[in-house]
Amino acid sequence: MARGQTWKIGLTAFLLLGSLWYLYPSASLWQMSSAARDEMAQNDPKGWIDLQKKVMKLGLDLKGGMRVVLQVDRSKLNPDEAKDAVDRAKEILRNRVDQFGVTEPVIQVQGQDRIVVELPGISDVARAQELIGRTAQLEFKLTESPEQAQLLVDRIDRSLEAAAGVDTAAETPPKTDTAKSEKKDVLEELFKSDTARKRAESLQTAQTIPDTGAVLPPQIPKEKPLSSLLEPAGAMGWTVLKDEVPLVQNILSRPDVMKLIPPDVAFAWGTRSQFMGGTQVERLHLLKRQVEMSGKYLTDAKPSFDQFRKPIVSFQLTREGGRIFARVTGANIKKPLAIVLDGRVESAPEIQSRIQDRGQITMGTGSSYEDANDLSIVLRAGALPAPVTIIENNVVGPSLGQDSIHRGVTASIIGTLIVFLIIAFYYQLSGLIADFALLLNAVFLLGVMAVLHATVTMPGIAGVVLTLGISVDSNVLIFERIREEMRAGKTVRHAIDAGYARALAAIIDSHVTTLITALALFIFGTGPVKGFAVTLFWGVSISLYTAVVVTRAVFDFRKTYQTLSI
Amino acid sequence: MPIRIIGDTNVDFIGKRKYAFLFSGALVVLGLVAVVMMTLGRANLGIQFTGGTLIEGYFAQTVDIGQVRQALASGGFGDAEILQITGRQQTNFFLIRIKADPVEGTRKAQTVLDVLKQFFPDNAFHMDSVHEVGPAVGKTLQSQTRWAVIISLLGILVYITIRFDFRFGVAATIATFHDVLAVLGIFYLLNREVTILVISAVLTLAGYSLTDTVIVYDRIRENLKKFHRKADFMPAINRSINEVLGRTIMTSLTVMVVVVTLYFVGGPVLRDFSLALIMGVIIGTYSSWFVASPIYVEWENRSAKRFRSA
Repeated sequence: MARGQTWKIGLTAFLLLGSLWYLYPSASLWQMSSAARDEMAQNDPKGWIDLQKKVMKLGLDLKGGMRVVLQVDRSKLNPDEAKDAVDRAKEILRNRVDQFGVTEPVIQVQGQDRIVVELPGISDVARAQELIGRTAQLEFKLTESPEQAQLLVDRIDRSLEAAAGVDTAAETPPKTDTAKSEKKDVLEELFKSDTARKRAESLQTAQTIPDTGAVLPPQIPKEKPLSSLLEPAGAMGWTVLKDEVPLVQNILSRPDVMKLIPPDVAFAWGTRSQFMGGTQVERLHLLKRQVEMSGKYLTDAKPSFDQFRKPIVSFQLTREGGRIFARVTGANIKKPLAIVLDGRVESAPEIQSRIQDRGQITMGTGSSYEDANDLSIVLRAGALPAPVTIIENNVVGPSLGQDSIHRGVTASIIGTLIVFLIIAFYYQLSGLIADFALLLNAVFLLGVMAVLHATVTMPGIAGVVLTLGISVDSNVLIFERIREEMRAGKTVRHAIDAGYARALAAIIDSHVTTLITALALFIFGTGPVKGFAVTLFWGVSISLYTAVVVTRAVFDFRKTYQTLSI
Repeated sequence: MPIRIIGDTNVDFIGKRKYAFLFSGALVVLGLVAVVMMTLGRANLGIQFTGGTLIEGYFAQTVDIGQVRQALASGGFGDAEILQITGRQQTNFFLIRIKADPVEGTRKAQTVLDVLKQFFPDNAFHMDSVHEVGPAVGKTLQSQTRWAVIISLLGILVYITIRFDFRFGVAATIATFHDVLAVLGIFYLLNREVTILVISAVLTLAGYSLTDTVIVYDRIRENLKKFHRKADFMPAINRSINEVLGRTIMTSLTVMVVVVTLYFVGGPVLRDFSLALIMGVIIGTYSSWFVASPIYVEWENRSAKRFRSA
């Protein structure tokens, strides 16, 4: 045996065994049928969990699931809060996701203010997004009395009419008919326009710079502009036809109207639209601004049904919260208490009696038990410290994932096989040695991926295959060089030595250049691109060992050669 | 006796360099046009770069694309781009793409799916994948990608300069830049989608195609040590390329085989990726022969420090 050959063989064997050892769990898991898996989960739960930990995870593009990137809006926080807002948000999201019951979710902070949430195997995407994206700011507020509320609306009406130049003093009964027919025309106008965008555009064009005396959108009736769009609903405020909501919003956001609203009250919309007499309406309330109690005093929240079989969330408060709540409810019996979630009114039930530390949130009309459950989850996990927006959303259906795995693996096997054959054919016995090195390369690469607990993605699979195609090049270079040296008349042994020596420079150069770009991809890429870069990096690095050291060790088995099959 | 696909050849690579420069020049111009178009948002860029919503899926039963268009228009998505993809396992495979909306952001997909469910109640639409990206994210990704390309090129320049010399370094970097542009240009011409995966493929190739270039340079360096007369310079370069022709073809062939297999067997997700790799391998090998070396020759020819051996 040549010098140093022992350790080469030993090292290679060690690496081989190590790789196989790390790959074994993944291989055995993927081989098990789903019946066998269920059986194991039942009979050997500890072993099952252990196995899951050791297995290489499938990326979302192969398993199916959802990946969202959230941006935390820290603009309204002071610098201290802003610093750990993102981390707090991450913890709260983790809590919510855990309770949602997703296996192996991934929640990571990205950059300064982004959070990546991966939920494998999720099917109800809309619900998941809702769960994640909700700020869940819970507040309890009292409502303004209906009389005061109507007075405010009338005041707004008069101001708008004056601005538009309508003579309200000369109002006569017949006019109300025309007002009604005008309103019908307005409705017809609205139902004719076919996209929300067009509507927004027309509102935009009709409005000049917001100012006292600015022109109202043509659809808003000139007389009693606000009242005509609102339908009184007793202590609950008003209802507004769904299509007319933008008009009301338009009025309420005008600066001259906002000046009329007293500082201690504010308008708030309901959480959901409802159906009343066949048409879709939204609720509008006038609430006191003062937050009587907030969600931070909640210790627990559970979904349930009340005596009318309506879904509710029953909650428990801290002692402090209980005291506050008792005071507020005791002083306002028979008055409505609005439950405001993220600025929208979930419901506004009447306070029946003094409530201490236990209470219930009646879900608004049109909600289900699932809504109550989801609300409980977010209340339990806590409100997010700042609002988040979903800036990126990727969903992969499970069937696409299965298909991809199948194709990826098939392509890998076929591709590798063809390379095997070409090399064996072209370089004969030496080619077989190179193929052996190639096989080792593949096993080692997969072993490294297993050790790193890398996630298997589609680009990752492509990366493995590509790496194998690239790594065999080192052997091509060496063998071509050997052939050249033999043509020049050297003995076989010398040709082999010269071949390895001379080709090494080019091999290292080509490896380094590929590694440079793999590194750039790793640094600048995200998700699947990173996976690809990692397989490329390791594959190319490992091939340095297998293609050069291992094959050399094989050649060194014989001290002298008469001929060489190359 | 060993099998050889290329015997002793004597192709005049350097002599033909004028044609090569013309051809490569055209490719580079095409590539630059493509890059400009992409920055302007007028090329087929992946959703990750432009922002917007992309929905892929298939209907259970036959549907006419006009019906789908109608359905989406009724839901307010009149400006959606709808493509029917043939040649997939599932017929009735559609691709729906909606431009980014700074207001609505990333909640459109669910609405679209609901609209389709409403319009085709008996013909379920199976969603294969949904990708939604806010417009701001797209811009960030574009700039990140540009940096990745620039850093790669710089890294290559530095490394080749260290291993050989500055002129080799510059020539190699220009050749690599040419490869990247050429692939982008061809993609633009074929109107194939340039996704982040395609860019990854192109970058990988950029690094990999240097293998061929380095093989040639290595041989050139070796041969230049042996010549003494000025007139021997160009023949020496030529001879270098010819000598390594066999191995450059062989190394490219092994990668080609793998990548072509990926293209045909790897499925729709990897198709554009594999295509970029295929084109990259071909162009990369071509540029090692006809771009990297001739540029070095031109430079040496015109400079005062002539014929320094590397």
